[in-house]
Amino acid sequence: MNLVLDLAELAPDTATSVGGAKIGRLVEMGAAGTVVPGGFVLGVEAYRAHFRASGLDERIGGIVGPLSGRSSDDELTAASEEIVAAIRQVALTAELCDAIAERYAALCERGRDVALPVAVRSSATGEDGAQSSFAGIFETYLGISGAAEVIDAVRDCWASLFGPRALCYRLERGISHHDMPMAVGVLELVPAKASGVAFSVHPVSGKGDRIVVEGSWGWGEAVVQGLVTPDRAEVGKSDLRPLRYTVATKKVISDYDPSRRRVAEREMPAELQDARVLDDEELRAIADTVRRIEQHYGHAVDVEWVLSSDRTPGGPVHVVQSRPVTVGGTAAAPSSWDPASFALRYAFQGSR
Amino acid sequence: MATVVPVDEFVTEEWYPGFRPALDHAGWAVEPFRTFDKADEERFWFLDFHWPRGLTPMGLIWNEDGYSWGTQLAAEALPLPPGRGITQRIAGTHTYAAAIDVTDEWEIGERARRMMQNLPRFLESFEGIWAERRHEVESWWTHLRSVDLRSLELAELGGYLRKARQFHKRAFEIHFEVMYPLLANYVGFYGACTEMGIDPGEIAKFLQGYDTKIMETDRALWGLTRKARNAGLGEVFAAHDATGMRAALSARGGAAAGWLTEFDDFLQVYGYRTEGSCDIALPSWIEDPTPALGMVKTFLLKESDHDFEAARANAVEERETAIDAARSSLSREEQEVFDAGLASCQAANFPWWQDDHNYYIDLRVSLPMRWATQQIADVVGADASDDTIFLFWPELLQVVDGERNFAEFKGIINDRKQYFDHWYERRANMPKVLGTIPEAVTDPILIEIFGLNSHFLKAVQAAGNDGDVKTLSGVAAARGSARGIARVLTNADELHRVQPGEILVCESTSPNWTPAFAKIAACVCDGGGTLSHAAIVGREYGVPTVTAVGLATVVISDGDEVEVDGTNGTVTVFKHAGHPDEVVPA
Repeated sequence: MNLVLDLAELAPDTATSVGGAKIGRLVEMGAAGTVVPGGFVLGVEAYRAHFRASGLDERIGGIVGPLSGRSSDDELTAASEEIVAAIRQVALTAELCDAIAERYAALCERGRDVALPVAVRSSATGEDGAQSSFAGIFETYLGISGAAEVIDAVRDCWASLFGPRALCYRLERGISHHDMPMAVGVLELVPAKASGVAFSVHPVSGKGDRIVVEGSWGWGEAVVQGLVTPDRAEVGKSDLRPLRYTVATKKVISDYDPSRRRVAEREMPAELQDARVLDDEELRAIADTVRRIEQHYGHAVDVEWVLSSDRTPGGPVHVVQSRPVTVGGTAAAPSSWDPASFALRYAFQGSR
Repeated sequence: MATVVPVDEFVTEEWYPGFRPALDHAGWAVEPFRTFDKADEERFWFLDFHWPRGLTPMGLIWNEDGYSWGTQLAAEALPLPPGRGITQRIAGTHTYAAAIDVTDEWEIGERARRMMQNLPRFLESFEGIWAERRHEVESWWTHLRSVDLRSLELAELGGYLRKARQFHKRAFEIHFEVMYPLLANYVGFYGACTEMGIDPGEIAKFLQGYDTKIMETDRALWGLTRKARNAGLGEVFAAHDATGMRAALSARGGAAAGWLTEFDDFLQVYGYRTEGSCDIALPSWIEDPTPALGMVKTFLLKESDHDFEAARANAVEERETAIDAARSSLSREEQEVFDAGLASCQAANFPWWQDDHNYYIDLRVSLPMRWATQQIADVVGADASDDTIFLFWPELLQVVDGERNFAEFKGIINDRKQYFDHWYERRANMPKVLGTIPEAVTDPILIEIFGLNSHFLKAVQAAGNDGDVKTLSGVAAARGSARGIARVLTNADELHRVQPGEILVCESTSPNWTPAFAKIAACVCDGGGTLSHAAIVGREYGVPTVTAVGLATVVISDGDEVEVDGTNGTVTVFKHAGHPDEVVPA
């Protein structure tokens, strides 16, 4: 069985079962015409084979077994530390390492860079579900370069399946880690001028007539992790007309750090802090991309997008992640003017 | 726990000396005008700001025709789902008003169903309805004005008085028949706008810049001011009090006499209006032109003319800019809702009507009754022309019908005049609210016009709890901010005390306060909302205005330094050195 596959080899209808939720959706979106980064994936079978053959499964079973939803934070943290240490002690098989190195070398060749920076992304089975999103629990490493570092990052992604928050989240919901084997994607790192997230409905009010875009300079980690207050915009869904734009003071940037050979957070350069991130063309392009993805899936989505630093107007928007959106409200936008129903709602309630 | 202000001090059978109303002495639709009882403490009452001087016995007619008849009938007809109009209680010569709540859930639902059918029909035909009603009011008015009262016998004066009352009552049927649905539509649109994320401070702008009869009057007055200035009459106006102005101008002759002729022409067109709304005790400008002359005097104090054309063009431009800016932030689906709602509110424009109707109704419909009472006073040999307004309606009818002799009332009229003065003195210390302060009131007139919104209720609650309020909040009614010396006025008679650059603090304003806006730096009102008179005029004149502050006239003392932020709806009070920080009773 081939444990490491190029994304191009995956078929959209089976990509999720092979490559986990995130990679699966990237493949689906790519097949539907969205521009997504290329790369390869250590499929869920690679994870299963590694954990079974190394005896990690048994050891983890022994540590997780006594835990329950009532376990204390200290107990969860201790269990997590023990599991993560165990995972780090076990080397990948030579066969798997070779396969990763080979695929990585091919990516380098395609990118014409001997140490091509890549994104190493967790892609667990069943994450991003409608009921349990596991949002932000599993790791992503941006800017990794060199085969050895990629292999380390893969193991760190696997380990994040057993972080204290992941353990807790599963215990609360009665989910077994056996039900969510983790694939890991190794993807070209899109050189990011700006990145962010976008929602195909208003995530708070639930209004479906608009796309909400949040973005900042550089890569999206600072936005995704909530380390920076991003610029925020709303775009009309039917006509892709920018409706509102709020420029935020952005204090943190996720930027490529050549010394650490990583994308890492640092203070935003002063001249960029209050600069507007997205112009109207870019907003429209992002909104158009999000709208297509929503249409493809037939349900509301949130999307992590990247504007490549070499993008020119009219160029594509890269999508590095998407998932079904978890919406707070379900308020529909008012659909027509009906004086009596608005009067009923507002004129006789004393709510002002 | 709910804040309760006891009603005990007003739980009394007392009316004016020598009168006890029979239950049927005036018409009412749901609940009659009466005295307080202890059970009223469970309801929420507020001191009506319309008549800061108090009402004479005949003046109390407004409570009957306006509240007990007009509001209640209109609230039943639309109907208002949770309310049956406004009722009132007497406290001496002053009135406290309250909403009549519908409490049964099923009934509220049933009323809502009927409202849902009736409101759109009314709005669709508003233009025709208002034209018809205006025609009706004009037709009554022309008829009543055409009668030469001096030629009438006492009995005929009785007939005229009854007709004048009929007109008065009908005028207030019309007033509230139109006001409730227009206001409901406006508030609904306001709600739709806030739902769509439009800045509430922008919404009133969408409907501004349409000409009204009141604005027309102000323009004419400024025209006279310009002529006075050009004719070199500035020094005459500066040298005399408004009361002696006519005599001074007559004595001067020449250009001054010519100006007086033009002034009288102006009065024939615009002079049939009272200083203050709906009170038979108030003369029209025709009867007493002092206010109009005083306004010209005030206007002359300003260095330059108020450029109405520029202000109007500015208001229109601001309106169109605000609409464009709001639309551009809406999705296409929302724009459809907004455009339809805006069109509906522009066609049935509440803020416009709110100003316009004052000319046709509030400022003049009590005049025919006033003329009748004055002529009756003359015929029956009263000592003063206002003696007859110190009789109650049934009493005056007895006089005109020959059932009682006017002379019988002379003593009681004296007592009643003293009673009026006594309560006039008490007014400033009367509680602004009584009974149980609710979380919210539901009658849109009480919320939007009287300003009984959440700001007001919070303010009176806070004052009821600790009485220590330094920064007051209210409704941001006209944007901008200004700091200056506060002039706390109880009625428009005192407007001459306000110097240019000072800040007007009052319970509420009505059209006769308008001229003050040409000189004040800011305005603060106890009552009102974004649509009350002060709000509309404040925006028109660019005067920062905060309404619905609740207790501004109590917390702010004359001479205090205050800062008014009309953009955010706050008023900061800096106590003047001369004033100790007294704790004022709510």
